[in-house]
Amino acid sequence: MATKIQEPISIPMTVSVPYRFAAGSYLTKCLIGLRDHGTLFAVECPKCKRVQLPPRIVCATCHVRNERWVELGLEGTLVAFTIMYLPLTDPTTGKPHNPPFVYGTVRLDGATSVLDHFINVEPDLEKIRVGMRCRMILRPQAERIGDLSDILYFDPIPG
Amino acid sequence: MSDRVAIVGVAQTRFAPKRPDVNYGEMAYETISQVLRQTNLALPDDIDNAISCSHDIWDGQTISNISITDVIGGHLRTEEKMALDGSTAVYYGAVGILSGEYSCTLLMAHTKMSQTNRNIVNNVAFDPIYSRMLGFDYTSAAALQARRYMYKYGITRAQIAEVVVKNLSNARFNPSAHQSGEISIADVLSSPVVAAPIHRLDIAPDTDGAVAVILASEERAKSITDKPVWLLGMGTSYDAHYLGDRDLADCRALQQAAERAYRMAGIRNPRRSADLAEVGDEFSYQELLWMEGLGLCDKGDAGRLVESGATAIGGKLPVNPSGGLLSGVPINVAGLNRVAEAVLQLRGEAGERQVKGAKIAIAQGHSGFCGQHQCVLVLGN
Ligand SMILES: [Zn+2]
Repeated sequence: MATKIQEPISIPMTVSVPYRFAAGSYLTKCLIGLRDHGTLFAVECPKCKRVQLPPRIVCATCHVRNERWVELGLEGTLVAFTIMYLPLTDPTTGKPHNPPFVYGTVRLDGATSVLDHFINVEPDLEKIRVGMRCRMILRPQAERIGDLSDILYFDPIPG
Repeated sequence: MSDRVAIVGVAQTRFAPKRPDVNYGEMAYETISQVLRQTNLALPDDIDNAISCSHDIWDGQTISNISITDVIGGHLRTEEKMALDGSTAVYYGAVGILSGEYSCTLLMAHTKMSQTNRNIVNNVAFDPIYSRMLGFDYTSAAALQARRYMYKYGITRAQIAEVVVKNLSNARFNPSAHQSGEISIADVLSSPVVAAPIHRLDIAPDTDGAVAVILASEERAKSITDKPVWLLGMGTSYDAHYLGDRDLADCRALQQAAERAYRMAGIRNPRRSADLAEVGDEFSYQELLWMEGLGLCDKGDAGRLVESGATAIGGKLPVNPSGGLLSGVPINVAGLNRVAEAVLQLRGEAGERQVKGAKIAIAQGHSGFCGQHQCVLVLGN
């Protein structure tokens, strides 16, 4: 008698846990500036003078409290990039970003830290280079909600 | 190498139902800055190890200590996370000091229960290929444990309600507590039934907060404070994961953890030696069950004790003079809060909830549903 081969059982499950994350007082101040005034503020350590983004309560290196705010320029320099071929999901909407697209790491003028975001450039290695100058492009003010999606992307600055 | 480990500082946030004004790092920093000020220690030079306590699923972030490494002094230095109750962070920190590797360790536990849904989070603790799809959470599991405990030992519903009455009354004198009051057994029993026999007031409420503690070697401790509290004994133990493998009316893991802690502390009879106990009353019946597991009374006798007033502040053996978790202490933070409260008692700094002449305190914490993992610490001044 032929024995029927048993498929091993595996159980499908989506673990869906709702969260609401408090941004905290430092990031709240930064995001409100972005949403309401189109500005980007970072904190400068009183000791080592690192200008940190996202702004936070303590300088990790010096363990002193950050209290000085500095306004960053909305232009910066591309430090690193990748062309993405995976349809990564935006967890606030559940919708995928459409590949291929470019993620870049931009050091804004006046900042020590870098900011990672989308780069609005053709996903073509001939069109992107480290050292490229970029400008931050925001959503129209009425559409801004106070998170990092208020920044649409960085546009390359020709030249 | 250090022979003894001391607790040299404790700081707590006020526990609140919701802290939308701070993120994890800012909330943690409230306690860290306070405990550093209190001990006159500074990061990074004076602290050579840091241990935090939080949970990925509660925080909604893989490696949940990422958000607090800056404030705890973990940047380009040692920082490790204990993903169990905060009491176990004390155990883990002490082991590092006793090994001779570290001399001064900063511990911090943080959780914001308000940022997610406890029933969903706790459901994820159940085995995905077995009982998770039945929807179990800690409250439903606790209800089964409460019923089994009541049945086996004849514990009454009124005795269990007495724990709530006592702890909310004690919490009136605890400035960190999030709820307190003079209530009656009838108030507890007329609060909505959540999972029979458990009513709303039998459940520790959702709350946000953090606790920080500094441990030091004997040598360092003496230069930091003239009121060190010594960690005299400690023990941990795991029980079976599956509820079906345990008799929920008994707590073998707690008995084992307690035996180890008492042996280390040289305590033969905890009923005689202990001046107070701070235990993890996540659900009111658990205070009674844990008292029995800790050997503070005979099996089935805790209900009678609470009724007699023996566990009230001023009683023969005060239990949770702080008001316990029922007054509002976040999960994970709970055990470190037990330790902090025991330390305040042993330093004589517990204000109106002070147990007079306290010399030996027992702090107990647990993780997992129905107290699967248990940690017992014996502290003395
Ligand atoms: Zn710095």
